[in-house]
Amino acid sequence: MDNRTKETIRYLGYGNHAVDSTTIAMISDSFRNLESVANCKSIYRIFDLHETDENYYKIGTVHLESRNLSKNLKGCHRVVLFGATLGAEVDRLLTRKALMSMAEVVVLQAAAAAMLEEYCDECQEEIRVSLEREGEYIRPRFSPGYGDFDIHYQRPLMQMLDCAKKIGLTMTDSFMMSPTKSVTALIGVSSTQENCHKKGCEVCGKKDCIYRRDTV
Amino acid sequence: MILDKLGKELLFFDGGMGTQLQAKGLNPGELPETWNLTHEEEIVDIHRQYYAAGSDIVLTNTFGANALKFQEEGLSLEKIVKQAVRHAKEGAKLGVTGDRETYVALDVGPTGKLLKPMGDLAFEDAYQAFAEVMRYGEESGADLIHIETMSDTYEVKAAVLAAKEQTSLPVFVTMIFDERGKLLTGADVPSVVALLEGLRVDALGINCGLGPEQMLPILDSIMEYASIPVIVKPNAGLPVQRDGETCYDVLPQEFAETMQKVVGRGAAVIGGCCGTTPEHIRHMIAECDGRTLRAQTKKNRTIVSSYGCSVELGIGSKIIGERINPTGKSKFKAALKEHNLDYILKEGITQQEKGAHILDVNVGLPDIDEVAMMREVVEQLQSVTNLPLQIDTVDTKAMDVAMRIYNGKPMVNSVSGKKESMDAVFPLIKKYGGVVIGLTLDESGIPETAEGRLAVAEKIIAEAAAYGIDKKDIVIDVLCMTISSEPSGAVTTLKALKMVREKLGVHTVLGVSNISFGLPSRPIINANFYTMAMHEGLSAGIINPSSDAMMQSYYAFHALMNMDPNCENYIANYANRPTAASSAQMSVNPAAAQTASDPAGGQSGSQDGSLKRAVEKGLKEDAHHTTCMLLEQEKPLDIINRYLIPALDMVGKGFEKGTVFLPQLLMSAEAAKASFAVIKEALQKSGTQEEKKEKIVLATVKGDIHDIGKNIVKVLLENYSFEVIDLGKDVPPEDVVDAVCENDVKLVGLSALMTTTVVSMEDTIRQLREKAPGCRVMVGGAVLNQDYADMIGADFYGKDAMQSVYYAQKLLNE
Repeated sequence: MDNRTKETIRYLGYGNHAVDSTTIAMISDSFRNLESVANCKSIYRIFDLHETDENYYKIGTVHLESRNLSKNLKGCHRVVLFGATLGAEVDRLLTRKALMSMAEVVVLQAAAAAMLEEYCDECQEEIRVSLEREGEYIRPRFSPGYGDFDIHYQRPLMQMLDCAKKIGLTMTDSFMMSPTKSVTALIGVSSTQENCHKKGCEVCGKKDCIYRRDTV
Repeated sequence: MILDKLGKELLFFDGGMGTQLQAKGLNPGELPETWNLTHEEEIVDIHRQYYAAGSDIVLTNTFGANALKFQEEGLSLEKIVKQAVRHAKEGAKLGVTGDRETYVALDVGPTGKLLKPMGDLAFEDAYQAFAEVMRYGEESGADLIHIETMSDTYEVKAAVLAAKEQTSLPVFVTMIFDERGKLLTGADVPSVVALLEGLRVDALGINCGLGPEQMLPILDSIMEYASIPVIVKPNAGLPVQRDGETCYDVLPQEFAETMQKVVGRGAAVIGGCCGTTPEHIRHMIAECDGRTLRAQTKKNRTIVSSYGCSVELGIGSKIIGERINPTGKSKFKAALKEHNLDYILKEGITQQEKGAHILDVNVGLPDIDEVAMMREVVEQLQSVTNLPLQIDTVDTKAMDVAMRIYNGKPMVNSVSGKKESMDAVFPLIKKYGGVVIGLTLDESGIPETAEGRLAVAEKIIAEAAAYGIDKKDIVIDVLCMTISSEPSGAVTTLKALKMVREKLGVHTVLGVSNISFGLPSRPIINANFYTMAMHEGLSAGIINPSSDAMMQSYYAFHALMNMDPNCENYIANYANRPTAASSAQMSVNPAAAQTASDPAGGQSGSQDGSLKRAVEKGLKEDAHHTTCMLLEQEKPLDIINRYLIPALDMVGKGFEKGTVFLPQLLMSAEAAKASFAVIKEALQKSGTQEEKKEKIVLATVKGDIHDIGKNIVKVLLENYSFEVIDLGKDVPPEDVVDAVCENDVKLVGLSALMTTTVVSMEDTIRQLREKAPGCRVMVGGAVLNQDYADMIGADFYGKDAMQSVYYAQKLLNE
């Protein structure tokens, strides 16, 4: 079973339980449908990062405050701003399926989330390789809305990336991504390598979450 | 006037603004347009350099100047825009030598928001945002409006309408295409050209995204479709990421040489975008100045478009799906009256799956608000299908509203040869663009002869021309009369069809199935007539794509006439069809076929056991068939109580225990739904009144565009015999309150995904408490938990969908 299928199953809340063959078939159908409509786009830019105080950072003219983010960015002098989206057609596919079968929609939407994560991982890997060539190392990506990193930072970050124009990624007045299957994140850059390439799920404090990746 | 020169001599735009501003110290995160107030000299100097380099048209520094981006207090948009125009004029004074005539273009970029229904910006709000800036631009003396870097056909339509309606300035539009020749939102070159020419812009083209070399194939494609002057403004090459910064590497001389090719391939207005500098422009002008333009030719292609696809008439015969229409369809009428949009949308999706190219949309019914319904259906259909739509109404207001908010160049059904009809419809076609069906009837009715119908068609085309509407945008319907009352009906129609094609050179359309009205086995007549009509040159048939007979004609015709290379479509559709004999058997005894393919399924005589099993296993078809069989032996209500409810309970409990998971829970729910549908039909047939159901209002709160959770709850509640009034997503609190009060509802379910929208949930609850104190509120959604629910004053927090069902049962059924 490939990784994105495993991740889809996890998002569906199966935990360690066996998955029925119908659901497995729906997952592979979902990926087939997604492949045909998704228009994956991403963008990144690197900025200098200034730590102005404990838990305070500045990128260009934007000031950030967050304890969790600060932990993530400790020791970094630059930061990659990153945005990615599967495109608006995935939203249309979800809307269309919702009229026909909600069972298919929940599977489709989990598959889309897995596909998006996989795509972000691929993009991040490219960024990692290109920076390591220059002797720099990246930290795990961290998005507005994680922990105490306020979702409102989404606005200036998306503006600095020019997401709407470059990859068609916009935000609603309620700070929701539109297209919905999209990500923005910060990735710290430092000149020292640290072993912190674990992904978000394992480092999260909520140990009883039904969606938790099976690492405990 | 720039329009005097446009298309006659080569005109030069300026180059990049952003790159110049960054070089002058613009910080990341800073809004460039604020520099019109804070760094006046720098802005004037950039304009001066471009004029000095030889640009005829310079863009104001107003790319992102709109009320949606400038929300901060203390920034006057009016001042920013007016200063921007003044700076460009000042730049001209300083930069232009001699008496060279130059122009200032008000630069208008995208809002940065996605429009509804995919995003949250209403079409009219986008329009207003553009209109405001454009009015300031005209007031301060801009010579034209240049709408650029657009990647969404819907947003560009709002911008062009604003420019056309709010100013009298010429309008130029350029959009960003990627290397596949598509916009970010999926539209291809023909759809963009069809839309923009339909809206009657003065020039159109491409900017940003690509370098000059990569733009050449897209320019070639534009030249195949466009009849108006074409603009090309490339970046200085493809963007290269260097050290996290976007760089453009094409140097001025290389840029200039490729731009010469651009002119050779037909561009009439050229300039540069990101990464280009006054140096690029100077070289470009030195290389290209004085070159004669390639004459632009008129293209007679009849194209309708949606946000993401175009359909050209005249290539094979096209299928216009006729099913979104209440005429003669009781279920559809009921759906309209009950505002059951899902039913209507499903009709659209099914027709697309069956092979329709365009969907006719008719929602006219005497006792509904057709304008509002048309608007809603058109908008919603465009969130589930990319097919172009055909707006079908006799209500001019509904036609106007639908054409305005339609994302693309629609087909319009219809105009006739009556003066009144032409007076009402042609102004709309002229304003919004569209391909309109001309019915060959006028004040004296439908002419009996083919010659008579040809004459009406000629009249329609001539009157359209008086409005400046080209005949490529008229498609003639010579009408067909049923042969049951008009023996020569088909002969006349076919003759007229051929005459119209040959003598007038316009495309044709027919509502094919009228031909058989009053006869038995209508599909036989319809399908054969359809083939005959296609053979006479029918460009598009308005048919039911779910009719096997019609689709057989369609595929066979294209295969026979060498319009289906290698008979690919024919084979794809018919290679694996069961033979007539075996399919007859299937339909006589579907359950037997099911059991045969599923040996584990119920043994003979145990439909009861297999209905339970079908629901538990989530087998929709089995549930349908076994219910049909059971109805022969048992009463509907017994089937519900003995099999369906226990099966649903079993699955629900499994879900709670963690042995059944969400996809399975929903598959079971859908199987049960299929069974309920059969039972409901049986009850209706026998005239038995259904049990009165308790009503529950469901809504995703204002600001929230995620509705999967709410839809899951809906499916489950419906299976437990509740009537769900689904208000959809992004629902204002007032709408929830209204629905509750109007229907005397005792329970509301609200869903929210994020902390930012829980505020609207709280607001909704507050308003409900005031206006409908007896109503209970249950809440759910990713961000919620019990504490949060308590804090905002909800009566119940449903941690999963089944919990909401149990709460509703406890509250309403006891």
